[in-house]
Amino acid sequence: MALAPVAAPLPTLMVVPTGIGCALGGYAGDALPAARLLAAASGCLITHPNVMNGAALYWSDGRIHYVEGWSLDRFAAGDLALRPVRRQRLGLLLDAGIEEELRLRHLQVVDGCRATLGLEIGAVVTTDGPLGVNLRQGPSGASWGSLERPDALLRAGEALQRAGATAIAVVARFPEDPQSEALAAYRGGAGVDGLAGAEAVISHLLSRHLTIPCAHAPALSPLQLNPELDPRAAAEELGTTFLPCVLVGLSRAPDLVATGPSAPSGAAGAGGVLTADQIGAVVAPADAMGGEAVLTCAERGVPLIAVHNPSLLNVSAAALGLAEAGATVLDACSYAEAAGWITALREGLSPASLGRPLLPLR
Amino acid sequence: MSTALGLESLARLERLELLELRLRRRSGPLLPQIRAALAGRGQPLRWAITGVEPDPAGAQLRIEAVMIRPPA
Repeated sequence: MALAPVAAPLPTLMVVPTGIGCALGGYAGDALPAARLLAAASGCLITHPNVMNGAALYWSDGRIHYVEGWSLDRFAAGDLALRPVRRQRLGLLLDAGIEEELRLRHLQVVDGCRATLGLEIGAVVTTDGPLGVNLRQGPSGASWGSLERPDALLRAGEALQRAGATAIAVVARFPEDPQSEALAAYRGGAGVDGLAGAEAVISHLLSRHLTIPCAHAPALSPLQLNPELDPRAAAEELGTTFLPCVLVGLSRAPDLVATGPSAPSGAAGAGGVLTADQIGAVVAPADAMGGEAVLTCAERGVPLIAVHNPSLLNVSAAALGLAEAGATVLDACSYAEAAGWITALREGLSPASLGRPLLPLR
Repeated sequence: MSTALGLESLARLERLELLELRLRRRSGPLLPQIRAALAGRGQPLRWAITGVEPDPAGAQLRIEAVMIRPPA
Protein backbone atom coordinates (compact mmCIF):
# COMPACT_ATOMS: atom_id res chain seq x y z
CA MET A 1 0.00 0.00 0.00
CA ALA A 2 1.44 3.37 -0.99
CA LEU A 3 1.60 5.95 1.80
CA ALA A 4 0.53 9.52 1.15
CA PRO A 5 3.49 11.94 1.19
CA VAL A 6 3.87 13.93 4.37
CA ALA A 7 3.41 17.66 3.96
CA ALA A 8 6.49 19.78 4.54
CA PRO A 9 6.92 21.07 8.09
CA LEU A 10 5.09 24.25 9.01
CA PRO A 11 7.42 26.26 11.28
CA THR A 12 5.20 27.33 14.16
CA LEU A 13 5.83 29.65 17.08
CA MET A 14 4.39 28.65 20.42
CA VAL A 15 4.26 31.38 23.05
CA VAL A 16 3.07 31.00 26.63
CA PRO A 17 3.99 34.31 28.26
CA THR A 18 5.99 34.03 31.44
CA GLY A 19 4.67 35.12 34.82
CA ILE A 20 1.00 35.72 34.03
CA GLY A 21 -0.39 32.58 35.64
CA CYS A 22 -1.51 30.68 32.54
CA ALA A 23 -3.58 27.67 33.55
CA LEU A 24 -1.50 25.60 31.15
CA GLY A 25 2.14 26.62 31.03
CA GLY A 26 2.16 28.94 34.04
CA TYR A 27 3.91 26.44 36.29
CA ALA A 28 6.86 24.05 36.01
CA GLY A 29 7.16 23.22 32.34
CA ASP A 30 3.55 22.13 32.28
CA ALA A 31 3.06 23.27 28.68
CA LEU A 32 5.53 20.64 27.55
CA PRO A 33 2.90 18.07 26.54
CA ALA A 34 1.16 20.74 24.46
CA ALA A 35 4.50 21.64 22.87
CA ARG A 36 5.14 18.02 21.97
CA LEU A 37 1.70 17.82 20.37
CA LEU A 38 2.21 21.01 18.37
CA ALA A 39 5.66 19.79 17.31
CA ALA A 40 4.12 16.59 16.00
CA ALA A 41 1.42 18.54 14.14
CA SER A 42 3.75 21.14 12.65
CA GLY A 43 6.97 19.18 12.22
CA CYS A 44 8.85 22.27 13.43
CA LEU A 45 8.07 24.17 16.62
CA ILE A 46 9.94 27.20 17.92
CA THR A 47 9.26 27.87 21.57
CA HIS A 48 10.87 29.32 24.66
CA PRO A 49 12.28 27.98 27.93
CA ASN A 50 9.15 28.77 29.97
CA VAL A 51 7.34 26.15 27.90
CA MET A 52 10.07 23.53 28.01
CA ASN A 53 11.69 23.86 31.44
CA GLY A 54 10.48 21.46 34.11
CA ALA A 55 13.46 21.78 36.48
CA ALA A 56 14.65 18.17 36.72
CA LEU A 57 12.23 17.16 33.96
CA TYR A 58 12.72 17.90 30.27
CA TRP A 59 12.05 16.48 26.86
CA SER A 60 14.38 16.60 23.92
CA ASP A 61 12.77 16.54 20.47
CA GLY A 62 14.60 17.40 17.27
CA ARG A 63 11.48 19.13 15.96
CA ILE A 64 11.44 21.62 18.85
CA HIS A 65 13.76 24.63 18.78
CA TYR A 66 14.56 26.07 22.23
CA VAL A 67 14.82 29.84 21.81
CA GLU A 68 14.90 32.32 24.68
CA GLY A 69 12.26 35.05 24.65
CA TRP A 70 14.32 38.04 23.49
CA SER A 71 15.79 35.97 20.67
CA LEU A 72 12.37 34.61 19.79
CA ASP A 73 11.01 38.15 19.47
CA ARG A 74 13.95 39.11 17.25
CA PHE A 75 13.46 35.96 15.16
CA ALA A 76 9.79 36.81 14.67
CA ALA A 77 10.78 40.33 13.62
CA GLY A 78 13.27 39.00 11.05
CA ASP A 79 16.34 40.38 12.85
CA LEU A 80 17.69 36.91 13.66
CA ALA A 81 17.57 33.54 11.93
CA LEU A 82 17.93 30.17 13.65
CA ARG A 83 20.56 27.67 12.57
CA PRO A 84 20.06 24.16 13.99
CA VAL A 85 23.22 22.63 15.46
CA ARG A 86 24.33 19.17 16.51
CA ARG A 87 25.40 20.47 19.90
CA GLN A 88 26.34 23.62 21.76
CA ARG A 89 29.38 24.09 23.98
CA LEU A 90 27.80 25.28 27.20
CA GLY A 91 29.18 27.70 29.73
CA LEU A 92 27.83 28.07 33.25
CA LEU A 93 27.42 31.53 34.75
CA LEU A 94 27.01 31.55 38.53
CA ASP A 95 25.86 34.49 40.64
CA ALA A 96 28.38 35.39 43.34
CA GLY A 97 25.41 35.65 45.68
CA ILE A 98 24.94 31.86 45.74
CA GLU A 99 25.99 30.18 48.99
CA GLU A 100 28.77 27.60 48.78
CA GLU A 101 26.62 24.54 49.38
CA LEU A 102 24.06 25.59 46.77
CA ARG A 103 26.86 26.40 44.35
CA LEU A 104 28.28 22.92 44.80
CA ARG A 105 24.84 21.43 44.13
CA HIS A 106 24.75 23.23 40.78
CA LEU A 107 28.25 22.14 39.86
CA GLN A 108 27.27 18.55 40.59
CA VAL A 109 24.25 18.91 38.29
CA VAL A 110 26.65 20.03 35.57
CA ASP A 111 28.87 17.05 36.23
CA GLY A 112 25.83 14.77 36.15
CA CYS A 113 24.75 16.12 32.78
CA ARG A 114 28.28 15.67 31.43
CA ALA A 115 28.58 12.11 32.74
CA THR A 116 25.05 10.82 32.19
CA LEU A 117 23.78 12.80 29.20
CA GLY A 118 27.06 13.44 27.43
CA LEU A 119 26.62 17.20 27.26
CA GLU A 120 29.63 19.39 26.54
CA ILE A 121 29.90 21.89 29.36
CA GLY A 122 33.11 23.82 29.68
CA ALA A 123 33.93 27.01 31.49
CA VAL A 124 32.32 28.13 34.72
CA VAL A 125 32.41 31.81 35.57
CA THR A 126 31.23 33.48 38.75
CA THR A 127 30.10 37.10 38.62
CA ASP A 128 32.36 39.70 40.23
CA GLY A 129 29.59 40.68 42.63
CA PRO A 130 26.13 39.47 43.64
CA LEU A 131 23.57 40.17 40.93
CA GLY A 132 20.96 41.43 43.38
CA VAL A 133 17.83 39.95 41.87
CA ASN A 134 14.62 41.59 43.01
CA LEU A 135 11.09 40.50 42.31
CA ARG A 136 8.13 42.74 41.54
CA GLN A 137 4.57 42.56 40.37
CA GLY A 138 3.22 44.88 37.74
CA PRO A 139 -0.15 46.61 38.04
CA SER A 140 -1.70 43.70 36.15
CA GLY A 141 -0.39 41.21 38.70
CA ALA A 142 2.13 39.81 36.21
CA SER A 143 5.53 39.03 37.66
CA TRP A 144 8.35 41.34 36.70
CA GLY A 145 11.71 41.86 38.25
CA SER A 146 15.07 43.42 37.92
CA LEU A 147 18.76 43.22 38.76
CA GLU A 148 20.85 45.60 40.79
CA ARG A 149 24.00 44.64 38.90
CA PRO A 150 23.28 43.97 35.23
CA ASP A 151 26.86 44.99 34.48
CA ALA A 152 28.21 42.06 36.52
CA LEU A 153 25.98 39.66 34.58
CA LEU A 154 27.19 40.96 31.24
CA ARG A 155 30.88 40.90 32.22
CA ALA A 156 30.59 37.27 33.27
CA GLY A 157 28.81 36.45 30.01
CA GLU A 158 31.59 38.09 28.02
CA ALA A 159 34.18 36.04 29.91
CA LEU A 160 32.34 32.82 29.10
CA GLN A 161 32.08 33.72 25.44
CA ARG A 162 35.82 34.47 25.37
CA ALA A 163 36.40 31.07 26.96
CA GLY A 164 34.62 29.41 24.05
CA ALA A 165 31.06 28.99 25.27
CA THR A 166 28.52 28.99 22.44
CA ALA A 167 25.53 28.97 24.81
CA ILE A 168 25.19 30.07 28.43
CA ALA A 169 23.22 28.70 31.36
CA VAL A 170 22.81 31.30 34.09
CA VAL A 171 22.09 30.53 37.73
CA ALA A 172 21.18 33.51 39.90
CA ARG A 173 20.40 33.55 43.60
CA PHE A 174 16.76 34.51 43.98
CA PRO A 175 15.21 36.00 47.10
CA GLU A 176 12.91 33.60 48.86
CA ASP A 177 10.11 33.73 51.37
CA PRO A 178 8.94 30.17 52.02
CA GLN A 179 5.98 31.42 54.07
CA SER A 180 4.60 33.82 51.47
CA GLU A 181 0.99 33.58 50.36
CA ALA A 182 2.04 33.96 46.73
CA LEU A 183 4.32 30.93 46.90
CA ALA A 184 1.61 28.90 48.65
CA ALA A 185 -0.85 29.86 45.92
CA TYR A 186 1.62 28.88 43.20
CA ARG A 187 2.35 25.51 44.79
CA GLY A 188 -1.39 25.01 45.16
CA GLY A 189 -2.00 25.67 41.48
CA ALA A 190 -3.71 29.03 41.84
CA GLY A 191 -0.97 31.60 41.58
CA VAL A 192 1.56 33.34 39.42
CA ASP A 193 5.17 32.19 39.14
CA GLY A 194 6.71 35.10 41.02
CA LEU A 195 10.23 34.34 39.79
CA ALA A 196 9.47 34.24 36.10
CA GLY A 197 9.62 37.95 35.34
CA ALA A 198 13.10 38.40 36.77
CA GLU A 199 14.27 35.21 35.07
CA ALA A 200 13.16 36.61 31.74
CA VAL A 201 15.02 39.85 32.37
CA ILE A 202 18.26 37.97 33.07
CA SER A 203 18.13 35.80 29.98
CA HIS A 204 16.92 38.68 27.77
CA LEU A 205 19.81 40.90 28.89
CA LEU A 206 22.42 38.29 28.22
CA SER A 207 20.99 37.14 24.88
CA ARG A 208 20.74 40.74 23.70
CA HIS A 209 24.33 41.45 24.72
CA LEU A 210 26.00 38.32 23.32
CA THR A 211 23.59 37.04 20.63
CA ILE A 212 24.04 33.43 21.70
CA PRO A 213 21.49 31.07 23.26
CA CYS A 214 21.03 31.75 26.98
CA ALA A 215 18.60 30.50 29.60
CA HIS A 216 18.24 30.82 33.34
CA ALA A 217 17.65 28.68 36.40
CA PRO A 218 17.04 30.22 39.83
CA ALA A 219 19.06 29.07 42.84
CA LEU A 220 16.78 28.47 45.79
CA SER A 221 16.83 26.48 48.99
CA PRO A 222 14.67 23.33 48.94
CA LEU A 223 11.13 23.80 50.20
CA GLN A 224 9.35 21.85 52.92
CA LEU A 225 7.30 18.94 51.65
CA ASN A 226 3.77 20.03 50.70
CA PRO A 227 1.19 17.22 50.57
CA GLU A 228 -1.23 19.49 48.66
CA LEU A 229 1.22 20.26 45.86
CA ASP A 230 -0.43 20.87 42.49
CA PRO A 231 0.84 18.43 39.81
CA ARG A 232 1.73 21.36 37.54
CA ALA A 233 4.23 22.65 40.11
CA ALA A 234 5.61 19.24 41.08
CA ALA A 235 8.52 19.14 38.63
CA GLU A 236 10.25 21.89 40.58
CA GLU A 237 10.26 19.86 43.79
CA LEU A 238 12.00 16.73 42.55
CA GLY A 239 15.54 17.88 43.07
CA THR A 240 17.76 20.52 44.58
CA THR A 241 18.21 22.68 41.48
CA PHE A 242 16.24 23.85 38.43
CA LEU A 243 19.26 23.47 36.18
CA PRO A 244 19.00 20.12 34.31
CA CYS A 245 16.24 21.25 31.91
CA VAL A 246 18.19 24.41 31.04
CA LEU A 247 21.34 22.48 30.21
CA VAL A 248 19.45 19.99 28.08
CA GLY A 249 17.46 22.72 26.32
CA LEU A 250 20.55 24.77 25.54
CA SER A 251 22.61 21.76 24.48
CA ARG A 252 20.85 21.73 21.10
CA ALA A 253 19.42 25.24 20.96
CA PRO A 254 19.85 26.73 17.49
CA ASP A 255 22.56 29.28 16.80
CA LEU A 256 21.32 32.85 16.45
CA VAL A 257 22.28 34.28 13.06
CA ALA A 258 22.04 38.00 12.39
CA THR A 259 20.04 38.99 9.34
CA GLY A 260 19.39 42.32 7.73
CA PRO A 261 21.64 44.68 5.80
CA SER A 262 24.66 44.39 8.13
CA ALA A 263 24.66 40.58 8.25
CA PRO A 264 27.24 38.50 6.37
CA SER A 265 25.85 37.56 2.97
CA GLY A 266 24.33 34.12 2.81
CA ALA A 267 24.10 33.95 6.60
CA ALA A 268 20.39 33.24 6.67
CA GLY A 269 17.98 31.20 4.66
CA ALA A 270 20.38 28.45 3.57
CA GLY A 271 21.23 24.98 4.79
CA GLY A 272 18.26 24.43 7.08
CA VAL A 273 18.41 27.89 8.60
CA LEU A 274 15.00 29.07 9.78
CA THR A 275 13.93 32.59 8.93
CA ALA A 276 10.93 34.67 9.89
CA ASP A 277 9.36 34.46 6.47
CA GLN A 278 9.01 30.70 6.95
CA ILE A 279 6.80 31.02 10.03
CA GLY A 280 3.46 29.45 9.19
CA ALA A 281 1.50 29.95 12.41
CA VAL A 282 1.70 31.38 15.92
CA VAL A 283 0.00 29.74 18.88
CA ALA A 284 -0.64 31.89 21.96
CA PRO A 285 -3.14 32.11 24.83
CA ALA A 286 -6.31 33.83 23.60
CA ASP A 287 -6.22 36.40 26.40
CA ALA A 288 -2.51 37.18 26.13
CA MET A 289 -2.15 38.37 22.55
CA GLY A 290 -0.28 41.57 23.38
CA GLY A 291 3.31 40.33 23.22
CA GLU A 292 5.90 41.40 20.69
CA ALA A 293 6.25 38.12 18.79
CA VAL A 294 2.49 37.71 18.39
CA LEU A 295 1.94 41.28 17.20
CA THR A 296 4.90 41.11 14.84
CA CYS A 297 3.56 37.94 13.24
CA ALA A 298 0.04 39.38 13.06
CA GLU A 299 1.37 42.32 11.10
CA ARG A 300 3.29 40.01 8.78
CA GLY A 301 0.10 38.11 7.93
CA VAL A 302 0.98 34.94 9.84
CA PRO A 303 -2.16 33.17 11.13
CA LEU A 304 -2.66 33.51 14.90
CA ILE A 305 -4.10 30.52 16.73
CA ALA A 306 -5.70 31.89 19.90
CA VAL A 307 -6.02 29.08 22.45
CA HIS A 308 -8.28 29.13 25.47
CA ASN A 309 -5.74 29.20 28.31
CA PRO A 310 -6.90 31.52 31.10
CA SER A 311 -4.43 33.79 32.88
CA LEU A 312 -4.36 37.11 34.74
CA LEU A 313 -4.69 39.01 31.50
CA ASN A 314 -7.65 39.82 29.31
CA VAL A 315 -5.89 41.02 26.18
CA SER A 316 -7.63 39.25 23.34
CA ALA A 317 -7.18 39.67 19.60
CA ALA A 318 -10.67 41.19 19.48
CA ALA A 319 -9.87 43.73 22.21
CA LEU A 320 -6.74 44.75 20.31
CA GLY A 321 -8.59 44.98 17.00
CA LEU A 322 -6.16 42.62 15.31
CA ALA A 323 -8.66 41.13 12.84
CA GLU A 324 -9.81 44.64 11.86
CA ALA A 325 -6.16 45.44 11.16
CA GLY A 326 -5.96 42.48 8.79
CA ALA A 327 -4.79 39.58 10.97
CA THR A 328 -6.10 36.04 10.58
CA VAL A 329 -7.23 34.78 13.98
CA LEU A 330 -8.24 31.16 14.50
CA ASP A 331 -9.87 30.37 17.85
CA ALA A 332 -9.09 27.08 19.58
CA CYS A 333 -10.70 25.83 22.75
CA SER A 334 -7.68 23.64 23.57
CA TYR A 335 -4.17 22.85 22.41
CA ALA A 336 -5.62 19.73 20.79
CA GLU A 337 -7.79 21.96 18.61
CA ALA A 338 -4.79 24.19 17.93
CA ALA A 339 -2.95 21.10 16.67
CA GLY A 340 -5.86 20.54 14.30
CA TRP A 341 -5.54 24.07 12.92
CA ILE A 342 -1.81 23.56 12.42
CA THR A 343 -2.43 20.30 10.61
CA ALA A 344 -4.94 22.05 8.35
CA LEU A 345 -2.49 24.87 7.58
CA ARG A 346 0.33 22.38 7.00
CA GLU A 347 -1.87 20.49 4.53
CA GLY A 348 -2.82 23.71 2.76
CA LEU A 349 -6.46 23.59 3.73
CA SER A 350 -8.45 26.79 3.99
CA PRO A 351 -9.54 27.17 7.63
CA ALA A 352 -12.90 28.53 6.42
CA SER A 353 -13.63 25.26 4.62
CA LEU A 354 -13.66 23.42 7.94
CA GLY A 355 -16.50 25.44 9.49
CA ARG A 356 -20.17 25.89 8.78
CA PRO A 357 -22.03 27.73 7.48
CA LEU A 358 -19.88 28.15 4.37
CA LEU A 359 -21.44 31.12 2.66
CA PRO A 360 -21.57 31.41 -1.15
CA LEU A 361 -19.34 33.96 -2.81
CA ARG A 362 -21.12 37.04 -4.20
CA MET B 1 37.16 24.77 35.43
CA SER B 2 36.44 28.22 36.85
CA THR B 3 37.66 31.37 35.14
CA ALA B 4 38.72 34.42 37.12
CA LEU B 5 37.16 37.65 35.92
CA GLY B 6 39.26 40.65 35.11
CA LEU B 7 38.12 44.21 35.66
CA GLU B 8 38.59 45.30 32.07
CA SER B 9 35.22 44.10 30.84
CA LEU B 10 33.36 45.85 28.07
CA ALA B 11 30.02 45.70 29.80
CA ARG B 12 29.36 49.15 31.16
CA LEU B 13 25.69 49.51 30.82
CA GLU B 14 22.94 49.99 32.21
CA ARG B 15 20.26 50.17 34.73
CA LEU B 16 16.86 48.65 34.45
CA GLU B 17 13.59 50.41 35.09
CA LEU B 18 10.09 49.07 35.23
CA LEU B 19 7.68 51.23 33.28
CA GLU B 20 3.93 51.37 32.99
CA LEU B 21 2.30 53.49 30.35
CA ARG B 22 -1.09 54.04 28.77
CA LEU B 23 -1.67 54.26 25.08
CA ARG B 24 -4.80 55.00 23.10
CA ARG B 25 -5.19 52.47 20.30
CA ARG B 26 -5.47 54.11 16.91
CA SER B 27 -6.46 52.36 13.74
CA GLY B 28 -3.84 50.48 11.75
CA PRO B 29 -0.84 48.40 12.80
CA LEU B 30 -0.25 48.36 16.52
CA LEU B 31 3.49 47.75 16.79
CA PRO B 32 4.58 51.12 15.42
CA GLN B 33 2.26 52.80 17.91
CA ILE B 34 3.85 50.90 20.80
CA ARG B 35 7.38 51.53 19.60
CA ALA B 36 6.64 55.22 19.33
CA ALA B 37 5.21 55.27 22.84
CA LEU B 38 8.30 53.55 24.27
CA ALA B 39 10.77 55.66 22.32
CA GLY B 40 12.63 58.22 24.38
CA ARG B 41 12.24 56.22 27.57
CA GLY B 42 15.28 53.99 27.03
CA GLN B 43 15.54 50.74 25.13
CA PRO B 44 12.81 48.21 25.76
CA LEU B 45 14.15 44.89 27.02
CA ARG B 46 10.79 43.27 27.60
CA TRP B 47 7.28 44.61 27.20
CA ALA B 48 3.70 43.43 26.87
CA ILE B 49 0.22 44.84 26.64
CA THR B 50 -1.27 43.78 29.97
CA GLY B 51 -4.65 45.48 29.87
CA VAL B 52 -7.23 46.87 27.46
CA GLU B 53 -10.09 49.18 28.40
CA PRO B 54 -12.71 49.77 25.72
CA ASP B 55 -13.27 53.37 24.78
CA PRO B 56 -15.29 54.82 21.90
CA ALA B 57 -12.35 57.04 21.04
CA GLY B 58 -9.99 54.05 20.82
CA ALA B 59 -9.19 51.36 23.35
CA GLN B 60 -6.87 52.35 26.19
CA LEU B 61 -3.94 49.95 26.34
CA ARG B 62 -1.83 49.41 29.43
CA ILE B 63 1.77 48.47 28.63
CA GLU B 64 4.21 47.15 31.18
CA ALA B 65 7.87 47.17 30.23
CA VAL B 66 11.40 46.76 31.52
CA MET B 67 13.53 49.48 30.00
CA ILE B 68 17.31 49.70 29.72
CA ARG B 69 18.50 53.15 30.71
CA PRO B 70 21.93 54.71 30.78
CA PRO B 71 23.61 54.90 34.21
CA ALA B 72 22.03 57.56 36.43
